Amino acid sequence: MNAATQYIELFEAERQRIDSHAPAPLNDRRPFAAEAFRRLGFPSRKVERYKYTDVSEAFAPNYGLKLDAEPLQADEQLLRKYYGTLANVEADGITALNTMLVQDVVVIHIPANTTKELPIQLTNTLRSSVPLMQNRRLLIIAEEGAQAQVILNDHAEAGQDFLTTQVTELFVGEGANVEFYDIEDTHERCHRFHQVFAQVQAGGRFTHATFTLAGGLSRNQTDVCLVGPQAQATLLGSAITNLNQHVDNNTLIDHRAPEGVSRELYKYVIDQQSTGAFAGRVLVREEAKKTDSIERNANLVCTDEARMWTQPMLEIYADDVQCSHGSTVGQINDEALFYMRQRGVSDAEARMLLKQAFASEVLAAVPLEPLRLRLAALIEKRFRNCEDCKLCKK
Amino acid sequence: MRLQSDTTKRMLEIRNLHATIGGKEILKGIDLTIGEGEVHALMGQNGAGKSTLSYVLAGHPAYEVTEGSITFRGKDLLALSPDERSHEGLFLSFQQPVEIPGVPMAKFMQTALNAKRKYEGLEPLNAADFLKLMRERRKVVELDSKLTSRSVNEGFSGGEKKRNEIFQMAMLEPRLAILDETDSGLDVDALRIVAEGFNRLRKPETSAIVITHYQRLLDYLKPDFVHVLINGRIVKSGGPELAADIESHGFDQFLQ
Ligand SMILES: Nc1ncnc2c1ncn2[C@@H]1O[C@H](COP(=O)(O)OP(=O)(O)OP(=O)(O)O)[C@@H](O)[C@H]1O
Ligand SMILES: [Mg+2]
Repeated sequence: MNAATQYIELFEAERQRIDSHAPAPLNDRRPFAAEAFRRLGFPSRKVERYKYTDVSEAFAPNYGLKLDAEPLQADEQLLRKYYGTLANVEADGITALNTMLVQDVVVIHIPANTTKELPIQLTNTLRSSVPLMQNRRLLIIAEEGAQAQVILNDHAEAGQDFLTTQVTELFVGEGANVEFYDIEDTHERCHRFHQVFAQVQAGGRFTHATFTLAGGLSRNQTDVCLVGPQAQATLLGSAITNLNQHVDNNTLIDHRAPEGVSRELYKYVIDQQSTGAFAGRVLVREEAKKTDSIERNANLVCTDEARMWTQPMLEIYADDVQCSHGSTVGQINDEALFYMRQRGVSDAEARMLLKQAFASEVLAAVPLEPLRLRLAALIEKRFRNCEDCKLCKK
Repeated sequence: MRLQSDTTKRMLEIRNLHATIGGKEILKGIDLTIGEGEVHALMGQNGAGKSTLSYVLAGHPAYEVTEGSITFRGKDLLALSPDERSHEGLFLSFQQPVEIPGVPMAKFMQTALNAKRKYEGLEPLNAADFLKLMRERRKVVELDSKLTSRSVNEGFSGGEKKRNEIFQMAMLEPRLAILDETDSGLDVDALRIVAEGFNRLRKPETSAIVITHYQRLLDYLKPDFVHVLINGRIVKSGGPELAADIESHGFDQFLQ
């Protein structure tokens, strides 16, 4: 039985239980999603956006479907208006799968011209005595002039297999400002697929920062659509990988209106036998005159076994734009390493400092200061663990 | 001038040192003995192998020692890693210090200093004591506090980099300092400040190898010995007067 069939059969068999557990607007979309999923199946590597990641192994096990005891509660009116309007099930098999099976939804609604003084933090800690799959949705609606910061934290208890699909839809209204942070700090037996769809209205600002500190297979697919004039998007990404980790960040910034600004910076530190991929497409449509866009991907590949694929793409159909894109793949700077060792810093410590230094550029771009400091500490801890295990092996 | 180091305790002994880089032999049989507290100047034409010697002493992995031995305070220096050599008291002020973006200067120095203390069986310095020490040593070479709050050498001017090298030396208090053209890039006043700072920090038993093309630095540092390195060999050794001789007559006299 192929993996896609397994999930369709699961859906058909559990349909009643699933429906009785979720609000109607979620259930209403399931049949369309199931139809799309039946047609699309899981994306193979022949699908352009999936060419760097083989998803089949992650979806092969039969996880079954566990539902919480409590039925889901969410504002049905908001769901009806926004849910599934950005996340197109026709375009992507994993988005379709998620919409078919969705069992968890969080809606964050910030009314017009209100500011959330404190960041909203969503922490998921996966804990289970059996292998567990979860299909989650997050809906963030920032109306005109609203401001909010949302932090998503993914953790998992060691020693178990977990599979997560998450679809996030973000509506950034006129002049609104939304910062969305995504921190994945799990372990090598956790696979996660996160599809982000954001729409930014005139003068709105959207910042999305993804930190992949630890995991198994991590795939983040981020689509940002700048639909109103002078909308801005900043995408930041930092991936720190070792063991058999694979991290794939696939982004699309779609400039559909004039005078949009987009900034994109993704940096990877790829260690041991792990692999990384970055593909970022910036599309400047004909009507997006005076677009200002910079896209950069820089990577530090620490061993001969580690691999990185990078593909920045820029498509311009408008006049009078300022756009640049580029990527680099490098290794630890031997002269810097020697300089540090000359001053008495050990090889392992010097490498750690150089990796941390490399990653620090993304951190420095994080606007939320307390989070920046917290992340700096987490990243240092991450690198130290990584070095420690290397040292043990010697 | 004192007599060749027989009477003083030996700090460094280089015997018949041959070294290659990328298969090319650069050092072709160097013999040099440096006693405790001695200052040796090393002069020679561009490309003669002066920096190569300093790199080999510091343990740069790109160089291969093909023959000979180096003993540092009775230990086989070549058996030690670069960081162990540093802990043993060897310091190299680089001819071209590397910029290390993203590594803050203060954090770097704290890591280096505490690694050395650990090697010596001492507790790490706490943040307050470290900052105090840094402030004190910065003053000796008049290094702007702005520089220690930046990334290592990043965007430093040529002179600032050299001053920063001597500041790091002041922090680490080496037994043997190798100054590879520390004078190049320094303006007249900076040279005086750095040289006087160096002299002030020196203990009687601190030794130095001073690589330079100019007399001016030597006027401050007052070498006990001057050596001329030509094409990977020391062709002439003498007292301070040799430096003056080179300053006025060049190296032609040593070429066969
Ligand atoms: N990677 C390398 N491969 C081959 N030759 C090299 C390499 N690095 C240095 N050399 C050569 O080694 C020789 C010695 O260089 P070194 O830097 O030691 O000279 P130096 O005496 O310090 O000169 P200067 O006074 O200009 O600083 C030079 O001819 C240089 O070109
Ligand atoms: Mg040189």
